[in-house]
Amino acid sequence: MVKKDLELLVSLQDIDLMAEEVGEMEKLGFSVSGYSELKKAREELAASISKPLLFRYERLRAKLKRAIVPVKNDICLGCFLRQPTSIGVKGREDEEIFTCENCGRMLYWLD
Amino acid sequence: MHRSELAKYFKDNLFVANLKARSKESAIAELLDLFVTEKYIRNRDIVLEMLHQRETLGSTGIGKGVAIPHGRTTAASEVLIAFGKTENGIDFDAIDDKPVHLFFMVIAPPNDEGNVYLPILGSLVTILNEKSNRDKLLKVTTFTDFMALIKGE
Ligand SMILES: [Zn+2]
Repeated sequence: MVKKDLELLVSLQDIDLMAEEVGEMEKLGFSVSGYSELKKAREELAASISKPLLFRYERLRAKLKRAIVPVKNDICLGCFLRQPTSIGVKGREDEEIFTCENCGRMLYWLD
Repeated sequence: MHRSELAKYFKDNLFVANLKARSKESAIAELLDLFVTEKYIRNRDIVLEMLHQRETLGSTGIGKGVAIPHGRTTAASEVLIAFGKTENGIDFDAIDDKPVHLFFMVIAPPNDEGNVYLPILGSLVTILNEKSNRDKLLKVTTFTDFMALIKGE
């Protein structure tokens, strides 16, 4: 199955979220012995994403911490601006990448 | 986190007294499917990928027959915990190599209100470290009994 760009980006962000809390996980007593393998998996995933898109992701991440934010009930959960209902229909297909006009983050529809 | 607070993150439709799964892979899938069936999650593949990556970081089988598969994902909107158990233990690459009977799957959004995700994990670890709690959980058959146990009633 070919994964869509948006799905790859979400998976990349999910790995980045995980990496941010490795220290906390270890403190709680969880094994994090595969940290180097996780980093390798991140590199492989990043390599499968087009360069311009990856660049956009990294730039947004550096600037806003979260590059992709969920949309719920048409609200961008990054800045709480309501998104036009019309783009939500397409947004849910995960084919096209939409950006919040207010905060600039990429959007992922939850519902 | 207080146990009565922890109890808020469980749901009766995310509770399975007898898991069908016989392998690590299928146990993760079966628990995740509860979230999907109940429409807490739209995109199953994304969350499954995250859970697999989490196991890459290290098995969430924390030993003594317990596993807590967990993670934050951009594809979730609220913190929720699914519970499942099985009499036949499942090989989960646990840190003590023992088969796993008790499963708590914790799914959280990237940023959660009140930052409860880590305290939830901490609270689960504390409860499950106690042998008496594990023994009682192994015998539980209904969600009501389960909740009473979680609350420490
Ligand atoms: Zn926004």
